[in-house]
Amino acid sequence: MSVRQWARDLAMGVRFAFTGGREGWTRAVLTAVGVGLGVALLLLTTAIPNALAVRHDREAARTDITFSSEQLPKADDTLVVADVGSDFRDDSVRGRALDPEGPRAPLPPGVEKFPAVGEMVVSPALKKLLESDSGALLRERLPDRIVGTIGESGLIGSAELAFYRGADDLASHIDGGSIARIDRFGDPDPSSERSDPVLLLLILVVFVVLLTPVAVFIAAAVRFGGERRDRRLAALRLVGSDGGMTRRIAAGEAMAGAVLGLVFGAVFFMIGRRLAGTAEVFRISVFPSYLNPSPLLALLVGVAVPAAAVLVTLFALRGVVIEPLGVVRAGRPARRRLWWRLLLPLAGLAMLYPMIGNGRDNGDFNQYLVTGGVVLLLVGVTALLPWIVETVVARLGSGGVAWQLAVRRLQMSSGTAARMVNGIAVAVAGAIALQMLFVGVDDDYTRSTGQDLAQAQMEVVLPSDLLVATAADKLRDTEGVKAVYGYSEGYLGDRPKDPEHGTTVTVGDCASLRAMARIDSCTDGDLFAVHGAEWDGDEDMTKLAAPGRKFYVDPSYEGGPKSKEIPWAVPQGVKAAKPRKGLLAGTDRGGFLFTPKAMPDALAPALTGHAFLKLDESVADVHDRVRTAAAGIDPLADTVTWAETERTGRFDAIRTGLFVGAACVLALIGVSLLVSQLEQLRERKKLLSALVAFGTRRRTLSLSVLWQTAIPIALGLLLATVVGLTLGTVLLKMTNTPVGVDWAGVLTMTGIGAGVVLAVTLFSLPPLLRLMRPEGLRTE
Amino acid sequence: MTPPAGSLLSAEQLRKAYGPTLALDGAEFSIHPGEVVAVMGPSGSGKSTLLHCLAGIVPPDSGTITYNGRELSAMNDSQRSALRRSDFGFVFQFGQLVPELTCVENVALPLRLNGTSRKEAERAALTWMERLEVDDLRKKRPGEVSGGQGQRVAVARSLVTDPRVLFADEPTGALDSLNGERVMELLTDAARSTNAAVVLVTHEARVAAYSDREVVVRDGKSRDMERVV
Repeated sequence: MSVRQWARDLAMGVRFAFTGGREGWTRAVLTAVGVGLGVALLLLTTAIPNALAVRHDREAARTDITFSSEQLPKADDTLVVADVGSDFRDDSVRGRALDPEGPRAPLPPGVEKFPAVGEMVVSPALKKLLESDSGALLRERLPDRIVGTIGESGLIGSAELAFYRGADDLASHIDGGSIARIDRFGDPDPSSERSDPVLLLLILVVFVVLLTPVAVFIAAAVRFGGERRDRRLAALRLVGSDGGMTRRIAAGEAMAGAVLGLVFGAVFFMIGRRLAGTAEVFRISVFPSYLNPSPLLALLVGVAVPAAAVLVTLFALRGVVIEPLGVVRAGRPARRRLWWRLLLPLAGLAMLYPMIGNGRDNGDFNQYLVTGGVVLLLVGVTALLPWIVETVVARLGSGGVAWQLAVRRLQMSSGTAARMVNGIAVAVAGAIALQMLFVGVDDDYTRSTGQDLAQAQMEVVLPSDLLVATAADKLRDTEGVKAVYGYSEGYLGDRPKDPEHGTTVTVGDCASLRAMARIDSCTDGDLFAVHGAEWDGDEDMTKLAAPGRKFYVDPSYEGGPKSKEIPWAVPQGVKAAKPRKGLLAGTDRGGFLFTPKAMPDALAPALTGHAFLKLDESVADVHDRVRTAAAGIDPLADTVTWAETERTGRFDAIRTGLFVGAACVLALIGVSLLVSQLEQLRERKKLLSALVAFGTRRRTLSLSVLWQTAIPIALGLLLATVVGLTLGTVLLKMTNTPVGVDWAGVLTMTGIGAGVVLAVTLFSLPPLLRLMRPEGLRTE
Repeated sequence: MTPPAGSLLSAEQLRKAYGPTLALDGAEFSIHPGEVVAVMGPSGSGKSTLLHCLAGIVPPDSGTITYNGRELSAMNDSQRSALRRSDFGFVFQFGQLVPELTCVENVALPLRLNGTSRKEAERAALTWMERLEVDDLRKKRPGEVSGGQGQRVAVARSLVTDPRVLFADEPTGALDSLNGERVMELLTDAARSTNAAVVLVTHEARVAAYSDREVVVRDGKSRDMERVV
């Protein structure tokens, strides 16, 4: 057969798609909307790597504090920058205080001019928040006059809360930590982080799991309105086209819908891109300019979608005999064969098998085998489901009229039903597998902070020259603060420079010290040495606490800046204390404990103050009240909200990405289900009206529609669970992680899938009731 | 106005419009038990609308319909549905059989909707299928039988509840003349044997010939031909 004939038949199909009057247009537009939604999601997903790369680049470009041990001398091109970031409710606020030391001091990206003391430049989102009523508490913390906004190049997302404020005399606080001197912005060592193979595996699987249902959805969308089209094709046979021609014409019609879908998709993508700039999903926001799909991937989508439409239609029509006087399907269609359907998932497993036991330490996973294996396993769901639905519904017994109508309909066209739930089943299978993988490797990316939330819920770290007692008093006056334990803390060594032995110094009142160690009696002026602590330095405390032994508080280290090196000798009368699990990070802590009067004044500049706060968390915005109070004490004060565990940022980001993507995919599939359901109902309008005419209750018909959806979805979710658990098990074995099933996660995922179907059924009820009106019998 | 004496179903001064199109404009109708009345008229004259109003499928905009002494237009939708299930039977031009049910399940469907058990309903359905000479099709689906056979199955379905009124809307419209005549013979014989009234909408004179009386509908108005003759 010649290419020309193919082209001619396809072109005729394209013409039919747009010249069939209102019905033709409706079908083409329905297909195009379905395909368009899928294409938009594909483009959006393919743009995500670029968006993440741009975010990463922007983050790298504004990097300032690098915890470098190198100290720059003051010059006319240096800038002292302090991290004065904070949190507001659940959002983090990136903040920097800037103290330029010369006319050539580097400007941060997105900032045109340094703000003076008492001024700040803010991100547009922060500006909006500070100007709103809900931001009043934050405004109290950031009272500086806003003199400008940070440009896009200085932000990683449109909803990011960020500010730069002017400051002076920051140089005296430089500590190599949160305050540093720099001569340029930017990450000095950008490629130091080696990619974790398990994280890469997660990213790869997330992409496959999100994109496969979209592809399945597009395949279903090009078949919208298939039954009505089949009747039109019969008319073509009547005027002389042969079976092959008719199928190609049908493929041409589908292709027209797909091409129109590409246009719709591009428009939806542009709208989505614009909306993405104003939305924040799971705390991630982007600028529209970030969302640029790679041209190669976009081209691939542009070619693959129409080609898939043609192939899917030809494949779908292979079992349909189109006769000149109507479409004749074999009364009982040929039974579906299981063997080749099983081949797909088995081949998928075979591709993943060689990587079992690979773990984290044996290099990266082969991305082609991972992608191929996961795709084949998931596509296996779409191949197996029609067979399962057909086999099960063929064995379903009798029941009420609604049940009978539904079961008989499923027996007659189980393929349509299976196609409708394919997308959901694939999405749920993938999500279950990923959920298992996430829960399995969760421990590797989550570490305990050791913070005991029963003892305190917040910590305020104060700059070294601040008196803890004064700060504690101010914090105590804050609404919602029940108790404050104040400490000053430092480190002492046996030599002023590069000490061999050393331990910690803690200063606090008796009540605070009791929260840290077991002390028999305590009066102000006492000094304690804690014996037998889990962490008390690297020499026996008895030797360290020998009266007259000389130490240097805040010793210096080679390569680092010169510290304060304040000499101190152990006095007589040091009392013994025993360790206890205290406030400090869960470990029992040793060293010297000073009551305020026991501490020589000379040591004060070498100590850092900490205040641990017990809060009444029923007080609204209590955390922000504390943050504001701390900022009032000193703008350089840092606040930490305690949590029992913390996760690595990238792990969280991937997990978030999965949820965002899964939500979009399920919403998309829900829309496709609804369109498909409405299309089917429209096809049966006359029959529904006839059934109502001879007295069928509307409830009976509604129930039959529900059964018709519920039976295949139940089977689909069952299969999805089996495939998801299998894939999850294989992935966990690949990462060398003990296999465990998170049943709550499985139930949640299948529940969400079932919820989508229920929602679709509910949404399709009003049109169903409308279609059941006896007026549907009218033909004129 | 009172309905004609002895009539089972009657309508007076029926008006029904679909948007700007006036389908019925003061139409009148009556039928007695066991009587076969053909409603004739050109396409778009309002015949089917008259049938739909008489059967309680669509409510008229004005006018009265009385069935067995009860005012149909005073009933709500569920009462009319119940009446259609128990007292009326329907045959449409294209049968409107449920494609996924077998022929015997299709015929049994109205009984099952009335709460009859599946076994009993299918037994009664088979009896009617035998009378209409389609019992050999019981396990086939509508898509596997010819148009004439399907229409006979539809007639069996319309009679299975022993309706007092049978509404037939162009029952032979999709059949060739031979099949059409056979269907009409079976339909009218079966109806007469149960003393059911038949409202037969058709535009074919040869189909109308099976009736006892003809009513012509034109421009939404009805005219009883018997009275003219």
